[in-house]
Amino acid sequence: MGLLRSSLSNLRTSPRLLAVPPYISLLCMLGGIIWILLLPLDEYSRRTYISENALLPGQVHTYFHGTEQNIFRAYYHEVADVLEVQTKTAEDGSQQYMKATPAHRNERIRSIFHNSGIKTASQSYKYNVGGQELHGENVYGIVHAPRGDGTESIVIVAPIENFEKQLNTNGVTLLLTLARYFSRWSLWSKDIILLVTPDTSAGPQAWIDAYLSQHNPETVSSLTLKSGAIQGVIVIDYPFRHLFHELHISYDGINGQLPNLDLINTAISISSSQCGIPTLLQSQHRYAKPEHQHHYLNRLKVLGHGMRNQAIGHSTGAHSVFMPYHIDAITLTAIGQGREDEMAFGRVVESLTRSINNLLEKFHQSFFFYLLLQNTRFVSIGTYLPSAMAVGAGFTVMAIYLWLKSGYEQREQGKEQITKPTERDDGSQDKIERALADPNITNEQLLKQPSAGGVDRVKTKVWKSVDRHIALPAALLAILYLTSLVPMAILVTAEHETLLTRTGALCTVIIMVPVGLSFILADNTYLVDTNILFGPSTAAISANGVPKDLPEVGLITTDSSPPLDPSTRLTQFHAILKALSLLVLGLQITVLATLNFSLSMFLGVLCSPLAFTGYYPSSPLRARASLISIVLFNPFVITNFAIMGAKLAGYYDDSFGMKEVLRQWLEAVSFGWSVWGAWGVPVGVFCVWLPAWIVAAIGVMSSFIADEDGTIKNKVEKVKEDMKGGVQKVQKAAVRDSSQVRKRKK
Amino acid sequence: MCSLLQQVAQGASKHNAMMFLTFLYLAACLVLTTLATDYFERLDLTPLPLGSLLASFEFRSNETLSAYNSQNFRYFPRSLGQVLQHADTKELHLRFSTGRWDTETWGARPWDGTKEGGTGVELWAWINAENEKEAMRKWITLNQGLSGLFCASLNFIDETRTTKPVLSFQPAGTHTQNGSLHLLHGVLPGEVVCTENLTPFLKLLPCKGKAGVASLLDGHKIFDASWQSMSVDVRPRCLTGQECLVEIAQTIDMVLNIARAKRPRGDPIPRPVQPHELICDETKSYHNHETCYPVDALETPEWSLNDVFGRPVAGACPLCDEEGPEAKSLCLHVPHSQGVWIGAGGFEVRSGPGEREKRCWQLVPGERFDFDMPKTSVRTHAQLDLTDELITAERTMTGHGAAKGGMRTVFTNPSSKDPVDIVVFESLPWFLRPFMHTLKAQITDTGFPSEWEVIKDVYYRPAVDRKRGTQIEMVLSIPPSSTVMVTYDFEKAILRYTEYPPDANRGFIVAPAVVRILNQVDATGNAKAIYIRTTSLLLSLPTPDFSMPYNVIILTSTVMALAFGSIFNILIRRFVAFDEVPENKLSKIVKTSRFRIALLKERIMGKAGKKE
Repeated sequence: MGLLRSSLSNLRTSPRLLAVPPYISLLCMLGGIIWILLLPLDEYSRRTYISENALLPGQVHTYFHGTEQNIFRAYYHEVADVLEVQTKTAEDGSQQYMKATPAHRNERIRSIFHNSGIKTASQSYKYNVGGQELHGENVYGIVHAPRGDGTESIVIVAPIENFEKQLNTNGVTLLLTLARYFSRWSLWSKDIILLVTPDTSAGPQAWIDAYLSQHNPETVSSLTLKSGAIQGVIVIDYPFRHLFHELHISYDGINGQLPNLDLINTAISISSSQCGIPTLLQSQHRYAKPEHQHHYLNRLKVLGHGMRNQAIGHSTGAHSVFMPYHIDAITLTAIGQGREDEMAFGRVVESLTRSINNLLEKFHQSFFFYLLLQNTRFVSIGTYLPSAMAVGAGFTVMAIYLWLKSGYEQREQGKEQITKPTERDDGSQDKIERALADPNITNEQLLKQPSAGGVDRVKTKVWKSVDRHIALPAALLAILYLTSLVPMAILVTAEHETLLTRTGALCTVIIMVPVGLSFILADNTYLVDTNILFGPSTAAISANGVPKDLPEVGLITTDSSPPLDPSTRLTQFHAILKALSLLVLGLQITVLATLNFSLSMFLGVLCSPLAFTGYYPSSPLRARASLISIVLFNPFVITNFAIMGAKLAGYYDDSFGMKEVLRQWLEAVSFGWSVWGAWGVPVGVFCVWLPAWIVAAIGVMSSFIADEDGTIKNKVEKVKEDMKGGVQKVQKAAVRDSSQVRKRKK
Repeated sequence: MCSLLQQVAQGASKHNAMMFLTFLYLAACLVLTTLATDYFERLDLTPLPLGSLLASFEFRSNETLSAYNSQNFRYFPRSLGQVLQHADTKELHLRFSTGRWDTETWGARPWDGTKEGGTGVELWAWINAENEKEAMRKWITLNQGLSGLFCASLNFIDETRTTKPVLSFQPAGTHTQNGSLHLLHGVLPGEVVCTENLTPFLKLLPCKGKAGVASLLDGHKIFDASWQSMSVDVRPRCLTGQECLVEIAQTIDMVLNIARAKRPRGDPIPRPVQPHELICDETKSYHNHETCYPVDALETPEWSLNDVFGRPVAGACPLCDEEGPEAKSLCLHVPHSQGVWIGAGGFEVRSGPGEREKRCWQLVPGERFDFDMPKTSVRTHAQLDLTDELITAERTMTGHGAAKGGMRTVFTNPSSKDPVDIVVFESLPWFLRPFMHTLKAQITDTGFPSEWEVIKDVYYRPAVDRKRGTQIEMVLSIPPSSTVMVTYDFEKAILRYTEYPPDANRGFIVAPAVVRILNQVDATGNAKAIYIRTTSLLLSLPTPDFSMPYNVIILTSTVMALAFGSIFNILIRRFVAFDEVPENKLSKIVKTSRFRIALLKERIMGKAGKKE
């Protein structure tokens, strides 16, 4: 045992082994990314299938045709009259443009419901986001299942304005026609709730909150008409008048939650098999031809789109808001120019409603965690999760590596000092000698140094275990994490007018933080002071984790370790700070992977360079490389890149400047936070990414400020002068975007 | 009895013979009318708004207590009577209901809600027993008996589903042995009521469904109704100066959607109608041959008994009264101004002034009867002179997630001046654990600005895990023109793996709350009971992934089979070298015979070889 232990402890300080972890970490991270890239291959994905037998998709005849279309046309006239801008010729012959008021609009919709003998109610809501008030009124009707007892229900939603702010006149009309048609059937086992909301974001949220009595009664009014537990939600979106070609299925929910895969599969199966309408996912029509859907690149794009939506965690349609309440929902959107009419859309909804109506239990059979690649292929959690876990493990490996490293120092010592055994364990004398014979002092270097007496002395550079002083780095890290909540709070609560100025100011402050902190830390007096404060107590944590009562062997000389010199102290401080930060980061990435896989994956990839940056006072090359990655992988710079990317990809037309896009994004984040409770982006950026970045930046900055031989205290003024130009450059680079923002504002 | 004799008499007079039988009949009738009417049936038809029709069937028969006790059953169904006697049940109330009553459109409930139960099956009875334990034993016996009789899962009403309400129910009959009577109440909210329950129900009737208004009862129509409730009530009834009777009253109430009921049975699918059948609003500017704003849903189409029930009445049940108000077995509650086309086979009697206008028909045995009701257009129940409900109750669950939830019941008193006192009775399954400290009643909306104490009294019997459910009875007072919200939070228990019912992911159905309205009097000044029931609720419980235990079982079995099998094999098998095994006789014989055959073969072959 003794032999084993000593050889293990020797292994621990083996320089070759100590050089390995960064490569393992890199391998983990690259492996995680490559894993994701493999997923679209046939070997790693699976064909979708219907898991719940009760659904029986497409097994029923649909009867929504014939004279129902006559009624649809009449309802279209009624609805278009109040939804669309009407031109009227005034008495003097001039053209007047008129739009009905929301109250008038809702009155008309309710009258159509009443005309079919359906009970209706309305609900008004008001949200205050960023100093702007958002208000509206939902109208809904309930078709009571003729023989049902009101314990379950299905919701069909038609937003008046769809996700892309187009008027959904055809969708609302279809909903009203279906309402009348459904009320004649007696086979419903669940009530059917037909909801018309003014928009896709606030309206459905207010409605579902009130339905489950989770609302704030001061801003969102309670529902006067209710039914049972909601088993499924279908959103109808048909934002044009002409015939359509395909149906697009959106399914991403708030905070990356997804509906049961069975619901999506049922919709796809009904639409493509029963009704012969092709289906699309994740805006495929924008980048993939229908016949190329199975190509690797297109599947990868669908995967990427899905992951992006999941990571952002914002609404992608009226269905999204139902997901946090474990209600499965999808949006069906008519796309393209083709030969399918509104009746075909109606039959898809009819058949889908019938399928959900068949359910005895709630959706539970199929997957809730999946990534779709194509309408018939998916990757389940068991296959994709290892990638995020591997990335998370990469950080943890680096953290452990730095922690180990922080327990040792490369100290120059006379050989006789080492060979002298410690007094305590005389029994292990021979082991120590054997340990010395080991090549663990391979990096011993002969250094010629002028000694005081003018005699040349042979000195060796060896790994020497030292006490870890973790109080200060731990405290600093805790403070960083806590204070990172402040910018988050400022951003999500900002008024929309001041949003950009606040962001600019925040950027400047945040970028100054690591620079300032590294200057403060470079002054060793703080470290020495805290050493006095915390030193003895922190020594309780033995340098290499070996409990004190075990016989100490080899080079472990914890008890007798001399006080650290300032340079070592600084190195150790940075190593511990970095180790703790990476440990927390790895933990966060891993935990997040189970909550919101895509968010954790993106954060992991964006933070990955931070794992390899660090305090390299003796290596200017590494320090510079670190500096570049710090500047590049800064949340603000990445945001700028993302905006540029979005503009290049054509999501925004040229009329939108960078500033406008940024403002839109920030408003969306603040809206998502306060209305939907979408925490993904703010928490991911401010509680995961930003603290990790600041810690990494402190290390990088410090390596430019500190000096190799540790006599920094005497040289600090000079270094400051020397580095002034450099630091200014750094600052300039880092503050670039904020200054741009400010410039553009002017 | 009278009617039977009359039939005989009619037959006799037709043949112009045995005139004395007529005399005998008259004499017998004189004797028998001193007894109370033994069988009575009635169908009340009330049109409701939006093309609905309320049909209330009532059947009632009596037996004297002495005859009942000596098992001398005439109209009282023997099968039921024996079950009741066996379980010592003095008073029984059994309800089968589906759907829900739409107060907003249809107004107040028929029978003031006393003849309806919550969704599913509801049963309560007064049982004569020495102590509670014996009462429970008899109750279980009763449930088992009724379960077989009515083809319902009543045997699942065990101790965990049984409650003993204190304030909500009062005996309807006259009981002498009050001290030893125990009231027990059970509900099966998830029970699906269907034709298999109707057939035994009809069998209890003396005319079975062959004659009288019961001939209209067709399973296809009843269970396609928007709301239906079947009830069986047995109670002892003692009028002063007469012998006590045991009365059985059976009712079936249903709300039919006339348009739906009129669809032919062979083709019930509501296909889109032909263009010429569409009823359009032709005043619309856009109206043309392919654009139609429909106006048909608000009209009540014309209907007849044959349309809505699938057949006309097959004549009167011969056991009914011939004369008097109770003989009018079919009544239609429409104003006299409303024209109705009547077929042959019934005598019409219109109601007199003062009471609600209706017309009733006395049916003739053996002659079919039907009438035609023309198309009408009524939208609200006020137009039909229907009364409003005194109070509305709506119960919903709040919250989401598998761990916790809340119950919210909203009571609305529409009256502008009278407060309403009610008893709310909730029986909750044991795995729904209410926190009574969170019980809160608040007036959310009121036109009555003064302090009001809502909760007057609470009777609470906490649950015992796996033994009995929670029982809550609250006496509430709802101020006039106010809405009161009663809320409490609850926790969902985690069940044991085997305690989940089939289709566990559906959730559990929580029985409807029973609301009894107190201090109400009828037209004659007597106290009357009014009941309403809320809808049932679906409680989703935390469910395990049921496939996992199976996976574990399968995996364990495989491992056991492989590992245990091979290890066991190795352990018990004795390995012996081949030559160590002693030869047994059979193998010796086989061996030697083989050897000889071989020898013989060789010899023959050898010879043959030599020859060649």
